Amino acid sequence: MTIPGFIIRNALRNKRRLTLTVLSVAVSLFLLTVLLTALRLIVNPPTTDQSALRIVVRHRVSLANVLPEKYQYRIERMPGVQYCSKFTWFGGIYRDQASSNFAQFAVDPAVFFKIFPEAVVDPRQQEAFSKDRSACIVGVKLMERFGWKLGDRLVLKAGVWPCDADLTIRAVYHSSQIEETDLFFRHDYFDELMGQRGVVGTFWIKAAQAEDIPGLITRIDAAFRNTDAETKTETERAFQLGFISMIGNVRMFIGSICTVIVFTMLLVTASTMAMAIRERLREISVLKALGFTGRMIFSLILAESCGLSLAGGFLGVFGAKLLAETLDIYKLSHGFLPMFPMTADILAVGMLVALLLGIVSSLAPAYASLKTSVVTGLTELD
Amino acid sequence: MAAPIVQLRELTKVYAHGEIEVVALNRITLDIAGGEFVALMGPSGSGKSTLLHLIAGIDRPTTGQCWVADTDVGALTETQLAEWRTRCIGFVFQTFNLIPVLTAFENVELPLLLTNLSPRERREHVTAALELVELGDRMRHLPRQLSGGQEQRVAIARSLVTDPTLLIADEPTGNLDAHSATEVLTLLQSLNRQMGKTVIMVTHDPKAAAFAGRTVHLEKGELLNGNG
Repeated sequence: MTIPGFIIRNALRNKRRLTLTVLSVAVSLFLLTVLLTALRLIVNPPTTDQSALRIVVRHRVSLANVLPEKYQYRIERMPGVQYCSKFTWFGGIYRDQASSNFAQFAVDPAVFFKIFPEAVVDPRQQEAFSKDRSACIVGVKLMERFGWKLGDRLVLKAGVWPCDADLTIRAVYHSSQIEETDLFFRHDYFDELMGQRGVVGTFWIKAAQAEDIPGLITRIDAAFRNTDAETKTETERAFQLGFISMIGNVRMFIGSICTVIVFTMLLVTASTMAMAIRERLREISVLKALGFTGRMIFSLILAESCGLSLAGGFLGVFGAKLLAETLDIYKLSHGFLPMFPMTADILAVGMLVALLLGIVSSLAPAYASLKTSVVTGLTELD
Repeated sequence: MAAPIVQLRELTKVYAHGEIEVVALNRITLDIAGGEFVALMGPSGSGKSTLLHLIAGIDRPTTGQCWVADTDVGALTETQLAEWRTRCIGFVFQTFNLIPVLTAFENVELPLLLTNLSPRERREHVTAALELVELGDRMRHLPRQLSGGQEQRVAIARSLVTDPTLLIADEPTGNLDAHSATEVLTLLQSLNRQMGKTVIMVTHDPKAAAFAGRTVHLEKGELLNGNG
């Protein structure tokens, strides 16, 4: 027998309690890692080298206000601008409201793929997209979600704008870096549907180099100051975060849930350890009488507690990762979560929480057992 | 007579229960020679278990000195005491106090985990101790699979396995039937006579005390027969 073997024997002595405790820690850490991943996706969306070069121009007042199409001409000529595309959220209704929770944008087909090189498209499909005025390009996950095929027609009924878009799928894009769940169609078709009103939701720009971005932002906003439609220009990341902030303080909401989960876990494991040690007070006194020092006893309790919570943590954290990798989260979340990358840092945080949980929950029972004298421990439960 | 292995001088133990003080032991002076088998007898509350705990270093005297094998037990720190107990004291409890999830072999091996012995050496020591108490065929049994007498013999093997200076037994037959009690007492007696182990046993049973070479009586915290 070894000391670790002794710890394992002790931990396994009440299998039902052990199973329930490990499962409660596992479920809690499963939830915690899932929530942390969701929180990170929301407040800290993944970025790429290309996304760091993109900036967004919108109306200064809000996203609901539109910009004049003519701004594009001036923006394209500013130093540092490599490409500029109109980018208007269509917000149409496909079949019914529940099926319409995917993003639809009208874009300039000539430059769209240059601004978003992460979207990989077959060149023949890309050509078909640029030739057909009512063509659209769809992310592969969205295609799978609705079972669409190339050449299918779909109608997006009037939602935000007072027009229906009758589209034909001409291209499919794949990407490992951006969401594969969006639909893009041609802005000239949108203009036609809108009666050539010359309105644009946003302009998306690709800067020539990252160093140009701060100056570019200043120049664009300065150029349209004191006009009917003043602009607010920001990086893609700042734009996404601003978009998220419109649905409230998500960080605080999810953070509060995470705190409650961790606190509940602490109570569960602390209670289990307290019971387990209380039941073994006499045995601990025997160990002391045999020559085990206070430090050794503390280490035994600490190791058992940490082992228990780490086992639960491992099940929960890596169970969550396994599920995230095997399940189609996009389909399961009905399009709400396009991707669910459970990265190493989140797994590490989950395991660290499990470890801290083990340490903290063992402190009180370990202290109590150390404070109990051998004589008291041997005689108290007689 | 051999040189004293236990020397108690004016040993006093007072327990404080709030404002009330209870004198458990009052100025006990006693010598126990190496190789002796001493029975501590007395009625309930006479202080015999307290005296045993002080000798074993699991409790501390209020005043007085307790020397065991040339060590002033009262002067040791908790950590030193723990290490000293591993080396010098073998415990046998009334309720056996075996760890229920460990086999007889593992229970006996437990004190050896605190030593630097290799796994092979530990195995040899444990096997020898269990064979000494005639439980060589019960090594893989859990405590619940053993009778009371067998459990106590495992406990005795555990107390012997580190080859301690002193064997301390607190009512070792208190939870046993007459037959098992005789077996255990005979075993303690043979350990004392054949192996020269110094044994101090607390009992309130005169029949058990008869197995010892000397009996020391305590009453109300004082020795009845002076410095035995």
